[in-house]
Amino acid sequence: MRLGLVIDLDTCVGCHACATACKEWNTSSITAPLTDYEPYGKEPSGVWFNRVRHYEIGDYPNNKTINFPMSCMHCENAECVTVCPTGASYKRPEDGIVLIDQDKCMGCNYCSWACPYGARELDRVSGTMKKCTLCVDRIYDETLPEEERQPACVLACPAHARLFGDLDDPESVTSRAVRNRGGYPLMPELNYNPTNQYLPPRTRPAISTSDLPRGSLARKVKEWVNRVIER
Amino acid sequence: MSAVEHSHDQSNQEIKYSTCYMCACRCGIKVTIENNQVRFIQGNRNHPINKGVLCAKGSAGIMKQCSPARLRSPLLRKPGTERGAGEFVEISWEQALDMLTERLAHIRATDPNKFAFFTGRDQMQALSRLFAEQFGTLNWSAHGGFCSVNMAAAGLYTLGYAFWEFGDPDWDRTKYFMLWGVAEDHNSNPMKIGIEKLKSRGGKFVGINPARTGYQAVADEWVPIRPGTDAVLALSMIHVLLSRELFDWDFLIRYTNAPFLVVQTPGQKGDGLIYRDEAGHPLAWDLKREAFVNGLDAACHPALFGEHKTPDGRTVKTVMTLLAERYLDERFAPENAAKVCGIPASTIERLALEMAHVAFKETIEIAVEWTDWAGRKHDKFIGRPVSMHAMRGVSAHSNGFQAARAIHFLQILLGTIDCPGGFRAKAPYPRPVPSPGKPAKHSAPNTPLNAHPLGFPTAPEDLVVDDDGQPLRIDKAYSWEAPLANHGLMHMVITNAVNADPYPIDTLLFFMANMAWNSSMNTANIQDMLRAKRPDGEYKIPFLVVVDAFHSETVHFADLVLPDTTYLERYDAISLLDRPISEPDAVCDSIRHPLLALDRNVRPWQEVLVELGARLKLPVFTKPDGTPKYQGYKDFITYYEREPGIGFLAGYRGVDGSKSLRGEPNPEQWERYIENQGFFQYHLPKDIRYLRFANKGYLEFATEAGFLKSPEPIVIELYSEAIQKFRLAGLGLYDGPMPKERVDQERLATYFDPLPDYYEPLEQQRVDKTEYPFFAVNQRPMMMYHSWDSQNAWLRQIIAQNHLYMNRARGESLGFQDEDWVWVESHNGKIRVQLRLIEGCQEDTVWTWNAIGKQSGTWGLKPDAPEATQGFLMNHLISELLPEKAGERRITNSDPITGQAAWYDLRVKVTRAAPGEEGVWPTFANVPPLPGAAPKPDVLRYNTRAKA
Amino acid sequence: MNPSLAVIFLTLFSGAGFGLMAMVAVVNDFAIDGALSPLRTAILVALALLLVTMGMVSSTAHLANPKNAWRAFTRWRTSWLAREGVFAVLFYPLAIAYLGWVFFMNNDRDGVALLLGNVTALVGLVTIFCQGMIYACLRTIRQWHTPLVPANFYALGLAAGMTVLATSRLLAHRHDLAMVSIACSLLVAAAVMKAIYYFWIGAPSGTTLQTATGFTGGRVRLLDQGHTFGTFLTHEFSNCIGPRRALRFKIAVYVLGFLAPIAILLAAAHAAIGLAVLLAPLLAFIGIGLERYLFFVEAQHVVNLYHGRMPGPLPQMHPALRATAENKAPAGKRRLVPSYDER
Repeated sequence: MRLGLVIDLDTCVGCHACATACKEWNTSSITAPLTDYEPYGKEPSGVWFNRVRHYEIGDYPNNKTINFPMSCMHCENAECVTVCPTGASYKRPEDGIVLIDQDKCMGCNYCSWACPYGARELDRVSGTMKKCTLCVDRIYDETLPEEERQPACVLACPAHARLFGDLDDPESVTSRAVRNRGGYPLMPELNYNPTNQYLPPRTRPAISTSDLPRGSLARKVKEWVNRVIER
Repeated sequence: MSAVEHSHDQSNQEIKYSTCYMCACRCGIKVTIENNQVRFIQGNRNHPINKGVLCAKGSAGIMKQCSPARLRSPLLRKPGTERGAGEFVEISWEQALDMLTERLAHIRATDPNKFAFFTGRDQMQALSRLFAEQFGTLNWSAHGGFCSVNMAAAGLYTLGYAFWEFGDPDWDRTKYFMLWGVAEDHNSNPMKIGIEKLKSRGGKFVGINPARTGYQAVADEWVPIRPGTDAVLALSMIHVLLSRELFDWDFLIRYTNAPFLVVQTPGQKGDGLIYRDEAGHPLAWDLKREAFVNGLDAACHPALFGEHKTPDGRTVKTVMTLLAERYLDERFAPENAAKVCGIPASTIERLALEMAHVAFKETIEIAVEWTDWAGRKHDKFIGRPVSMHAMRGVSAHSNGFQAARAIHFLQILLGTIDCPGGFRAKAPYPRPVPSPGKPAKHSAPNTPLNAHPLGFPTAPEDLVVDDDGQPLRIDKAYSWEAPLANHGLMHMVITNAVNADPYPIDTLLFFMANMAWNSSMNTANIQDMLRAKRPDGEYKIPFLVVVDAFHSETVHFADLVLPDTTYLERYDAISLLDRPISEPDAVCDSIRHPLLALDRNVRPWQEVLVELGARLKLPVFTKPDGTPKYQGYKDFITYYEREPGIGFLAGYRGVDGSKSLRGEPNPEQWERYIENQGFFQYHLPKDIRYLRFANKGYLEFATEAGFLKSPEPIVIELYSEAIQKFRLAGLGLYDGPMPKERVDQERLATYFDPLPDYYEPLEQQRVDKTEYPFFAVNQRPMMMYHSWDSQNAWLRQIIAQNHLYMNRARGESLGFQDEDWVWVESHNGKIRVQLRLIEGCQEDTVWTWNAIGKQSGTWGLKPDAPEATQGFLMNHLISELLPEKAGERRITNSDPITGQAAWYDLRVKVTRAAPGEEGVWPTFANVPPLPGAAPKPDVLRYNTRAKA
Repeated sequence: MNPSLAVIFLTLFSGAGFGLMAMVAVVNDFAIDGALSPLRTAILVALALLLVTMGMVSSTAHLANPKNAWRAFTRWRTSWLAREGVFAVLFYPLAIAYLGWVFFMNNDRDGVALLLGNVTALVGLVTIFCQGMIYACLRTIRQWHTPLVPANFYALGLAAGMTVLATSRLLAHRHDLAMVSIACSLLVAAAVMKAIYYFWIGAPSGTTLQTATGFTGGRVRLLDQGHTFGTFLTHEFSNCIGPRRALRFKIAVYVLGFLAPIAILLAAAHAAIGLAVLLAPLLAFIGIGLERYLFFVEAQHVVNLYHGRMPGPLPQMHPALRATAENKAPAGKRRLVPSYDER
């Protein structure tokens, strides 16, 4: 099993709902808290597991704005785990989720160097590295209603631009979306084999208008032929 | 699996359902409480509005709840200190309410209009309006006058419903969605849900906006329009449709006033009015009978086009003839429209034809038997799956009313009104066109008003002016300056009160409105006005009461501060009598209830209002013996009936809770709402979900539910006779009140066009466009839209500073570089800001994020917070008055029809700051902390699982 | 990459210490210039231990949660960082045993001494390799992902160690050319290796914001990074250096790290310059320290692409990052990244 997310760049409106819902769930979750620095001060900052960046593709007026959420890709070749000296970082064999044991991390930052996706953030107060857990404490929690056993970001996303599922299962909602929509991984050349995939914006065929009547009596309103229609 | 991964100890958790209040969207929330703190706020899957999803604001509600900006106690300006110095003393609620009661009782006994009560983004306007009505002051309104009254009024004077709260695209069926002037906006989550539905079905989403952010980012086609020219674009598309005979004949004849005849006697009284029979019925020309007939008669076959002579020799033309003559004019040909709106002619034509194709060639049908208003049975609803939504970008211009009407015209010609796949109404809408109910005009001591303070004028007689034509309201709503000011002109209250124009007031009360900062145009001057004194040393606004939950800039100017609770700490009714949350298929309302115990000396404002009502012995709140009628807000909501069986909450009525919409009060009503996850919905039967304006089943249902007074069909008004009456008054051709001043006459004659037309925004008519080459607009970022707390510790990490955005190629051609410091100057003032060059900006436009800038020391932020040191407001550039003109009194910078604040009419010039000129300007003095203010931690480690 | 002083000192001092140990073994193995005396061997091994210890102690300052540092050896099967720890720790008993043997037996030429010396040196050299591989194994940082990195670590460690060794000989008034020649040769070799590295990292990288986002059809520009101020990511990865400033640094590296030590050593070999010879290792350390600083700030983590930084020189960078990159205080106000030192 390879659990992960599929992000739909066609519908992501860049509202940061996923990022905030993630922050909200995880600040009281298994790697709690997600510390904020200067929350009311000069340079507010903090630990987030999911960040949304915004890009512009192409030049005006043929430009498109792309909202681009990124979190841990739960890579198959998770170099962050390989390089971790203490054994704090690990990838679960049963579902592929990459986690950090807060009791073992020594805060050397090395794993974050190995991660090309910026998925790991150090909590300066606890001194430990933190990252997306794929809400592992939600997705298996049988006390939650089944439809809520999903990562907080997926639950929240108002544009349903985030799908959660088993990328190993060809019939999962995620695998089908990747297949049908041409989903792609980020920076495949690095060979990390990320589990998370991105769906490109849809392209639409032009709407044909050739079936519409050509111009009519246009300029002479008085000559329009009335139609007999009962009110 | 490690134990750590799954240790989700839920023993201290409790789940409660309520309604979000982080913005005006009012989503259902499922709140997990742990150790008396909020563990998790998620969307309620069963809720009709958000169906389980939640936006960034909603999730960040936790940080609102622990904000150090929360007010903690009633505050009185320290005796002997100046207003705005920020020195307060804490007082008890008894003291505060005694003081206020005494003052208000005196005002009520002498001149109730001396009490002005204006409320901001609250969701309890039905109660605050009732309070004002009972008090007897005309001077009440909510914030719609500076928000979106143009949208609401245009819809209500055309369709009987409007965008957002009154109508929605049929997200489940629409195939073509056109979004006007909205980037990240009202209707937050439903729109995101809807856009995804549309796109997953392969529908097309066209975004018309000068900036490409937010929803526009995912638009399949972005149409970068010049701000304020939307009417030209819409009317040019109408030109294309008309010139190719692409309009819905049946729809126009059956449901609109298109076939009605209009009298054509230019220069004479009665010109432009509907030709009527003696009973007042509108007349049409029957093609079979070849005679004038009652146009409302079901059996007639009215001509859509035609010109006729009446027996008394007058020329009459059908509305549709006038409409076609108007819009087939070369002015609206795409190549001419392109010069105004900046959209290529080929694009205008293609967009119009694409919509026509989807409306007429991709028609959908829903096989349901239904009965029309005349009792005729039909076996299906025909859907033309084109839909639209428009909001602030169209609304906040002084031509926004007509622009919004033009957009509705486009929808009407395509027949996409309340049909499957089209733009659908939400209960209690549609209402008759125009809506019934005239604004109250008379105020008397110790007497309630005989009508709502706000209403819908249909003729000059309805204006709220005295015999000399002078305004009776402090905001001059319903005066000649803003005749259809259906939401009031809150943005003019301070200026008018300080100028004693039309009269001085005594007590001004603001609820949840930041009028000393981002909710006012011309912020710095407004702050000065709040401090202004008369020669005798008294403040020009003698007593300013501010009710808010947070330490806003306006709190700082208060004489008396009444602290409100947060949305997780009180009862609230989100009522059908107020701003409805219904869905097209269901009548809905909802509640809030306290999820957390109060930890401060604050009270819910609605509790205070009910108590004040009783203290002032306002009839509704008082028993005949003078004792309070209700034990607080909860009790009031349960038992108050506007008319028999109709109260604030429509669900679980009747003694046993078995009745919906209408029924006797149910003592257990709140409990039933709480059991039902905080909301009520009544699903409409399938045969009354569409074409409701002419759907017999619906009209009867709506009458029974109290939405309508009678089950008469609602006729969509393309041609607005009401507006024509005002024009006649301006032309001196009206049998009734007429304005005396030339400026009013000219405004009425020019802008009160019974058919929407484009005119250049008023301020732009008076500024030199060569000197001020850029349009300047602003918008709020999605994660803060309608959320009056950018002190939020999580959201401010996302954005705590704003820039001025300019088109990259345009900026580079002017020699600008990214991050340059520039001066932005309007006719009203100048600011220094930092520039960013981007692609997603129309080349004649600059824009910024609004309300990021804060005054130092407010909102629980430290004095060096970037919101105060690096954020800026564009408001300084915007005047609440039009540039002065010789021989003319000062006129509000608002739509001449509705009084909508014309925020977006601004034009500016942008010049590079001199070397060394860096940092934003102006900045404002630091506001000292309030007594007992909560500490502002340097590090925040929110964790409900941590043992305190 | 963030040029953390702790890591700069770690690689600088421990590299020189391991290099010194290796050169002590080589000199004694081949009795170069008549080999060292037991006392001098002991002093130099102690000095090597001191340098290694300085490096190791300084490295712990880099840890945010040092109480778990003891776990750092756990993952030696996969992690070069763990391996470095294992070998560095292994170095100590061997070096101390060697030191003790030489000191107490007063013999650095017997079989035991030679065996201990060579094994200790070998462990030190393996540690240098591990240190190099810590960086070289990262595919995320093109400037580090090359065998040139461990090769450079070797060249610089040996050159620094040999400079110390040669200086110690010169201080003892042994004006022999052999040691100086070896030191100078190693310095020249290190300079050449570094030059190869500097040319190599100048080549463009294949990964761009286009490929990183998957939008290869048009220009991709950052509109907003989604946070107004710095994050852990911008703190850790956003450092960089403009080409002109980098060139100035490189000149300083070559002058201080290579040319000056060579000149001083040669001068000292031919004339009595007294304690001034100490300038040779001192300048070499400063020069190599600057080299190490550049090693970090020139390294560009791919995640920077997502923050709008283009590969190659500065001008394409997002304005918010530009100020940091140029290492100047931006407009007096905006410090992009909160300082970790304020913790």
